[in-house]
Amino acid sequence: MRVLLFGTCLVDTFFPEAGEATVRLLRRFGAEPVFPRGQTCCGQPAFNAGYESQARAAAGHFLRVFDGDDPIVTPSGSCAAMVKRHYPELFRDDPKMLEKARRAGERIHELTQFLVHVAKAHEAGLRGKGTITYHASCHLTRSLGVREEPLTLLASLKGATFLPMPDATRCCGFGGTFMAKLPEISCALADEKAASIEATGADTVTGCDAGCLMNIADAMRRRKTNIRVAHIAQLLAEGL
Amino acid sequence: MSGADAERLFLENAAIAAAGTHVVSDRGDLLAVLGEVVEMDSPVYCPGVTELEQAAAPLFPVRAADYAAAAVTVEEVFGAIAETGTIVCVSVGGRAVQAGLLPAHHVAIVRRERIFATLDDLFAAVSDDPPTNMTLVTGPSRTADIELTLAIGVHGPEKLDIILV
Amino acid sequence: MSHEQTSLAFRENTVRALNDPALRAAMKQATDTFGTKRANALAPVAGLEALRDRASAIREDVLANLPMYVDRFVASATRAGATVHRAADAASAREIIRKILADRGARRIVKGKSMVSEEVDLNSHLEAAGMEVVETDLGEYIIQMEGETPSHIIVPAIHKNRRQVGRLFADRLGVPYSDDPQVLTKIARKALREKFLSADAGISGANFAATDTGSLVLLTNEGNGRMVTSVPKLHVAILSIEKMLPSLADLPAFLRLLPRSATGQTISCYVSVITGTRKAGDATGAEELHIVLLDNGRTEILAGESRDILKCIRCGACMNVCPVYRTVGGHAYGWTYPGPMGLILTTLLTGMEKAHPLVDASTLCGACVDVCPVRVPLVDLILGLRRRKVLERFSDPRERRGMDAFAKAAAKPALFALGQRLAGAFWPIVRALGGKDVAGRMPAPAKTPLRRRLP
Repeated sequence: MRVLLFGTCLVDTFFPEAGEATVRLLRRFGAEPVFPRGQTCCGQPAFNAGYESQARAAAGHFLRVFDGDDPIVTPSGSCAAMVKRHYPELFRDDPKMLEKARRAGERIHELTQFLVHVAKAHEAGLRGKGTITYHASCHLTRSLGVREEPLTLLASLKGATFLPMPDATRCCGFGGTFMAKLPEISCALADEKAASIEATGADTVTGCDAGCLMNIADAMRRRKTNIRVAHIAQLLAEGL
Repeated sequence: MSGADAERLFLENAAIAAAGTHVVSDRGDLLAVLGEVVEMDSPVYCPGVTELEQAAAPLFPVRAADYAAAAVTVEEVFGAIAETGTIVCVSVGGRAVQAGLLPAHHVAIVRRERIFATLDDLFAAVSDDPPTNMTLVTGPSRTADIELTLAIGVHGPEKLDIILV
Repeated sequence: MSHEQTSLAFRENTVRALNDPALRAAMKQATDTFGTKRANALAPVAGLEALRDRASAIREDVLANLPMYVDRFVASATRAGATVHRAADAASAREIIRKILADRGARRIVKGKSMVSEEVDLNSHLEAAGMEVVETDLGEYIIQMEGETPSHIIVPAIHKNRRQVGRLFADRLGVPYSDDPQVLTKIARKALREKFLSADAGISGANFAATDTGSLVLLTNEGNGRMVTSVPKLHVAILSIEKMLPSLADLPAFLRLLPRSATGQTISCYVSVITGTRKAGDATGAEELHIVLLDNGRTEILAGESRDILKCIRCGACMNVCPVYRTVGGHAYGWTYPGPMGLILTTLLTGMEKAHPLVDASTLCGACVDVCPVRVPLVDLILGLRRRKVLERFSDPRERRGMDAFAKAAAKPALFALGQRLAGAFWPIVRALGGKDVAGRMPAPAKTPLRRRLP
């Protein structure tokens, strides 16, 4: 099955390893990932800051680049939520683009959704190691409604122990442009999140959104904690 | 909900809300329980409006003419709600809803046939012509305004006893 | 005392709050407790989602027909013996109430908790007219003594710990120091009992107003709301127009949701339903009841795209779960209403020019939407206000230029890739040039981005 991979601007620019891991996982489970060359950003930074026309420019570009009928897979809960929930709002006055937006919303899968529901990766007996805890990022959980899939995958890792985090669904303080506009609160929230992670005793923390993981990794650095922060795609790909 | 279920649920919920609950089967029992729960050396306000209040009133050696001067109010109330363990006080018939508010101890007598199963049942019954003042009382007065720590008896009673007749 | 709005200094306010360990500890403890209590109270409710849908639908119906419902309430309340006043803005509400009290020679006024009275800054106006205004809710009593405003709509003194309250009471009331909440509560009971019995008038708010019967509905726990509305001969209630419920029979849905969402109680200790004035033969009720219905910009909100905020029933659940509110407390927001519902209402009621930094006071995490008992789409409303902020040119010009550049790059892959390479090349400079809050917290861009690693 051909799938279009949306790497996301953060993974593309800062965390290409998570993108490469996504490709390895998709191939292992029989999908044929294609990386459309023209892809950029879903437009979320502009949309969330109130810049609607600028967000629409990015969204329109996304819809052109990812046109067609193939499923779209992305290693990001918040970018998937942007396409699914907010693209239709952006094109509410443009029937042709609105239809494309709706179709894209139906075609897009956040990586763990695809791995569980389409690829059945949790039944493949992937290997893992050490102790792992999980941060349930906000848009993945509440906007996209993906709550169980990452946990199902992590629980299936042979040889790894999953340690649940208290208040796993509490915001880490990233919030896109929020981290730049109110950095003091953002850092305080990341620090609180880092403390919850430490309290689990896990040696690795994972999640499905690079932005949150970046913010958490920074708090870990400031706290001089040696807990590994890794995107779920990387953890799963290591067990192939 | 059957009458017996409503009664059981009401007593359960009232107890959860920190009210003292007592069940009596006749007038003699009622007086006996009042003898136990009411501080007899304190001034008691008992309106003496209903039959049960009239029967109870002679029991109290120190009577307060005004609820503002009383330490205890003993009164029969309009009814109760099983869903929430609530007693319902109304201003009908010359009754003062604040009589059960000012004294530190409120003793409410409820007739079992006056238990409404749910909030909806109560409001359906009173919505056409509500009294000037209707107060739903659930447990003693409380606050959590300091560190969300429960403290009992702020401006209203610190003790609520309910006697189901 | 009067309180100036400081919403424009939101970031400075948050920095001050972050540097106050007592405040942060109190906020964390209180909001954690609230979160647990709320969850425990709602878990056993059968058909919870259907109940939320029903409550939401009732509130939507009220907003869709608000002028009709307000007229109906005015007619019903008047029939029941109340005098209803319509106040277009805060100044007229203050003046209507001052005049009612002054005309009757009222000197001492006991007051129940009312956020609407905070919104119009009523106390300072009455005090300037020579009246003594005593807040009787324990939390309000504490902050009035301290000269502060509420930092939470349900628990006004949530930001204070027991030792701070103990010292305040010892200083101001001349009582021995105690940090036992039960002892402090008894001190307040004694001090306030005298005030209740000697008051010339009571002022209260209302949680709801039933339009079919003209009833006011108040949910309280302490009993001060009952005192204020039933002990003095004169009762003045102030409420905003959106507090309407079509019928008293609609109340149960809200009695099931509001206390559970607010404090985790099955029902508030006291629910007072007040319908008009004392009738012949009644031994209860104020002899005179004046109801002041405040608009203060709500009719305008109703006509705009943010109208759903008027569904709010003021339970405070959204602030208890909000990561921003939990961290900085209510005073940082700089006006009457804090947290997610508060930043929206503040921006709408006081104007974008006085409040625009507040619309950024959200990570858009959506925890508030999860807990709102009447399904106010808080995140969508915040996004709508951010769009307004941009359109009305209150956003930072540098940000605007940045977003314009972003839009160009996002639509042109070559430009985007170039930007990526430039960011990588100049990262040390970006970081050095004051980017420490942002770039300093991000890793440097990868030497080879994903787009050049894949075939």
